[in-house]
Amino acid sequence: MSDIVVQCEGVSKKFCKSLKKSIMYGGLDILQSTFGIIPDASELREDEFFSVDDVSFELKRGDSFGIIGPNGSGKTTLLKMLNGIFMPDKGRITVKGKMGALIQVGAGFHPMLSGRENIYINGAILGMSNKEIGRNFDSIVDFADIGDFLDSPVKYYSSGMYVRLGFAIAIHCRPDILLIDEILAVGDIKFHYKCLKFITNNILKNGCTVVFVSHDRYAVESICRKALYLKKGKMVKMGDTLETIGRYLEDVKNEEKVSEKKSTGNFDAQGITGVIFLDKEGQVKKQFKSGDAVKIRFHYSFKDMVPNPSIGITFRHHDPRFTIVSSTDNIFSLHSGYDGLEVSQLQGQGYFEVSIDCLYIPVGVYTCVVCLYTENRMNLVRLYEEAGALEVLWKDDKPQRSLIELPHRWTKTPEAAV
Amino acid sequence: MEDIRVYEPHKQLKQGIKIWKEMFGELYDFHELIWRLFARDLSAKYKQSLLGNAWCLAMPFVAIGTFMYLNHAGILHIQHTSIPYPLYALIGLSIWQIFATGLNSGANSLVGAGDMVTKINFPREVLVIASMAQSVFEFLIKFGLIIVFFCVFKYFPSWKIIFFPIVLLPLLFLTVGLSLVLSLLNGVMRDIGNIVSLLLMFLMFLTPVLYPVPAKNFLLLKFNLLSPLINAPRELMTEGSIHQPVLFGVASVVSLLIFLMAWRIFHLAETKVPERV
Repeated sequence: MSDIVVQCEGVSKKFCKSLKKSIMYGGLDILQSTFGIIPDASELREDEFFSVDDVSFELKRGDSFGIIGPNGSGKTTLLKMLNGIFMPDKGRITVKGKMGALIQVGAGFHPMLSGRENIYINGAILGMSNKEIGRNFDSIVDFADIGDFLDSPVKYYSSGMYVRLGFAIAIHCRPDILLIDEILAVGDIKFHYKCLKFITNNILKNGCTVVFVSHDRYAVESICRKALYLKKGKMVKMGDTLETIGRYLEDVKNEEKVSEKKSTGNFDAQGITGVIFLDKEGQVKKQFKSGDAVKIRFHYSFKDMVPNPSIGITFRHHDPRFTIVSSTDNIFSLHSGYDGLEVSQLQGQGYFEVSIDCLYIPVGVYTCVVCLYTENRMNLVRLYEEAGALEVLWKDDKPQRSLIELPHRWTKTPEAAV
Repeated sequence: MEDIRVYEPHKQLKQGIKIWKEMFGELYDFHELIWRLFARDLSAKYKQSLLGNAWCLAMPFVAIGTFMYLNHAGILHIQHTSIPYPLYALIGLSIWQIFATGLNSGANSLVGAGDMVTKINFPREVLVIASMAQSVFEFLIKFGLIIVFFCVFKYFPSWKIIFFPIVLLPLLFLTVGLSLVLSLLNGVMRDIGNIVSLLLMFLMFLTPVLYPVPAKNFLLLKFNLLSPLINAPRELMTEGSIHQPVLFGVASVVSLLIFLMAWRIFHLAETKVPERV
């Protein structure tokens, strides 16, 4: 095996919907394995279903892998199998190196004991020796930022402190592979960014492989280079993070449309139906060069009247550095209301256009978000979002050392001429 | 050489004899965790109660007092014991309770650990063993009381008391073994915990703990594995000789086998439990 640290080959896991049957099957399985009979796990018994169905992937050292999908799509189950808490019912998982898992932060914390004591216990549970914990103790406390609460029982901790402490312990056991399951959401924004930053700048840089499950697509976007989209246990798409997330969003949107049609019809078939980008010549393009003129056109279609609409357009950069550093994660946004565009009402079909003379924004791939507000600017009616809608390239192929390009020219004035 | 782990269905079953190496290896890797969990439970106990582990002394006093009263009142008829009865009963009861509390807390250890079992991967044997350590620790506290009783009754123990820990081992193996299996079953069916506490109560009366082995050979007492395992350490401590060495030997071997079997079962079924807990 070369650089591959995690290898999943056709992994499946089944679960039972009925509690009574689950108990029965469980007992039966234990009984059978006691006598050395290998139960046939590939067949589904009554009320059983595959929670994870035939999933295969490979991860190399230093890979960052996101798993996304709706609730109940088997993300956590897959993670637990990678961790060895469950055995797969079919297929095989091969794992190389020390595994660290944050499936639930603070699992194993004893509520009555102080943070100090729990650091030692949790560390031991995660496979650290006493010496290791002692060495990392200050660093753990520092990262968790629990201050005076170190010697208070953890049951007096806020949920954020709880998560911070758990996360701090887990990252200090120096795993080769780190599994993270939707846990950062509990901490505040400051901690959230701190964790994402730590994962990108320290953990991934040290060659650790990260598997990240989250509903926060921006977090997935900022950490993961590869992603897997699971739906009902099946792999829908795997590959580039942006494309995978795009596919997921598309699915969500399609499902919404289906349910919209079923609903009352108040907002039937309304919304912003698409965004296109036009160049000077009026050609539809996706790729533009830095400094190009661009016209953004977005179509709307409203059956019912929308009073006093205003429109906001936002571009989000796919590069994690932009989302982590800036407090608002928009590189660039526009709002028709602020620009003084007054529209009394909107009905039927049509489109809006915004012309931008020079597109001097950082190069890269952008997600375009169009929001439609009504009456006042707080009332959001419709949201349109397209990942990878726009790509900005350097003007020429010369190597660049900055984020943006600006029109410029050089002059030289010799001393003698002054 | 980095460690490579493979997870596949029924991996353990395919391993054959190598499973033992894995089991011992895991246990060694996590010996610090056993200690930590033991220390954790101990310190948590003290945080929540005034007397903490001292409470374990209450039960022997109450039980022995009750038996002495019943004997005095003529309701029960306890045969003459070779050593003062309170001492005899205290030693017996203390040893019995290693088994009883060990089994009780051991059987509930997996279920009681909650999130840990379902969210973290570690050899779950350590939970059972750590709860066992708790009951051994309680015995050490009771041992202090036994020494006090030795002084009070001016009875000098045999020097062979130094072998006491060794003679106690089979009982520990039996307790851990049974706990391992019961904790698994309890994970799947919660009834087990209740059944265990119920059975333990009756088992105590069916085992010569608070009374000497009767002269008549009752079948139930004869085949009670616990009887020689409890009596041998007691006899060794007080009289310096084991009355029925062969029986004790057989019981020890059986206990060890039960332990090894149970451990293997536990290891095989370990990953099935988090799915169902």
